[in-house]
Amino acid sequence: MNPMLLFTWAFQTLIAFVSTVAFSIIFHTPRREWLCTGITGAVGWLVYLISMGLGSGTVGASFFAAVALTWVSRSFSFARRAPVTVFLICGIFPLVPGAGIYYTGYHFFMSDNSQALATGLETIKIAIAIALGIGLVLSLPRFLFTWRREGK
Amino acid sequence: MENVSALELSFQMGETLLKNGAEISRVQETMERVAGAYEIDSFDVYVLTNAIFATGVEQGIEHAARMKHVPGTTIHFGRIEAVNQLSREIAQGQHTVEEAFAILKEVRALPYTKLLLSVLACAVGSACFSYLFGGGWRDALIAFFCGVALELYLYWTSRRGLSKFLTNLSASALVTFLGAVFFLLGVGENMDKIIIGSIIRLVPGVALTTSIRDFFNGDYLSGAIRMLDALLVGGCIAVGVGVVVRLLSLVTGGALL
Repeated sequence: MNPMLLFTWAFQTLIAFVSTVAFSIIFHTPRREWLCTGITGAVGWLVYLISMGLGSGTVGASFFAAVALTWVSRSFSFARRAPVTVFLICGIFPLVPGAGIYYTGYHFFMSDNSQALATGLETIKIAIAIALGIGLVLSLPRFLFTWRREGK
Repeated sequence: MENVSALELSFQMGETLLKNGAEISRVQETMERVAGAYEIDSFDVYVLTNAIFATGVEQGIEHAARMKHVPGTTIHFGRIEAVNQLSREIAQGQHTVEEAFAILKEVRALPYTKLLLSVLACAVGSACFSYLFGGGWRDALIAFFCGVALELYLYWTSRRGLSKFLTNLSASALVTFLGAVFFLLGVGENMDKIIIGSIIRLVPGVALTTSIRDFFNGDYLSGAIRMLDALLVGGCIAVGVGVVVRLLSLVTGGALL
C-alpha cells in the first residue's frame, strides 16, 4: 500500500462526505442529521474505492458500496430513530450512474450506436447492482442493526 | 368541528409523508399506527405513489372511502422525520387528536431550505462530484458555477410550474451548454467530468432508491411507477446532454468535445 494512494482515498472520502452533506441540504434534511448522512455517503464511496482498487469493476463496486451504505443507513436509522430513507437517499448520490447517463446521451447523439448501447447497458447494470445491494440489506432481519441501542 | 376526526388525522399524516417522498410501506404503517392508537375500527388503507384510499368506522359512523390524488413530490426529509416522530408519540398515547393536528400543522409548515443555502449546496455538491468522478480542480471550479446556475434555474422552473420532463430536459441542456462553453474557452480540462458533476443534481436517485424499496416491500405497482419515473427522467437528462453536445459540435465544425 503506498501512502500516496491512501492519501488520495482519504481525501476522496472526505470530498464524498462534503458532497453528501450538500445533497442532504438540498433535500431539506434537518441539521442534526447532516453528520450521519455525510458519514453514510463517505462510507459508500470508500467501499466503492476499495473494491475498485481490488479490481471488481464498476458494477461490482457499486453493489458492494450499496450494501455497505445501506447497512450504515439502517444502523443510523435505529440509533437515531429516524427513517432509513433520509440516510439512504442522501448517501446513494455518489453511486448513482450520472456518468453512465452522460456517456449514453453523448454517444447516442454523436451517432456512435455501439458505444451508446454499451454505456446504456452499463448504466442499467449499475442501477440493478445498486438495487440488489439495497434490497439485500433491507431484507435482513432487524436485530443485526439494533446492537447500538441495546448496548446502551 | 371538521378537524378533529382521527381518520382525517391519519389521512393527512399519510398525505404529508407521501408528498415529501416517503416510501409506500412507511405511509401505510404510519396511517395504521395512528388509526390503531385512536381506536378506529375496521380501518383499511391502500396507498399508491400518487393516491391514498382509506376507510374506517369512527364513533359508529362509517367514513366512506377517501381518496386523494397526491401530486408530484418535492422531497423534504425534515417533514418525513417530524411526522415519523409524531406517529411514534401518538402510538405511545401522548397526544389527543386536537394536539396531534396542531403539531401536524406545524410540521406541514416546516420551511424549505433558503434559496441561498440550497444554491451553495448544489454548487458545492456539483464541484465535489466533478472531482470524485475524476475531474481536476479547474473542472470542479466550473462545475461549481454550473451548480449555481442549475439550482437557480430549477428554482425558477419550480415557481413557473414547468413540467418535470421539460425541466429535466432543459436543465441538463443548460448545464451541458455552460460546461461546454467553459471548456471551449479553454478553462476546463475534461468537459465530461464537468457535466457529469453538474447533472448529478438531476439524476433520479430518489426515484430509483424509493422504487427499489417499494419493490422489496412488495408494493410492485408503486415500485413500477417510480421505476418508470426514474427511467424517463434519466432518459430526459441523456437527451438534454446529447442534443446540446451534438448541436455544439455542428456549430463549431466538429471541435473535440
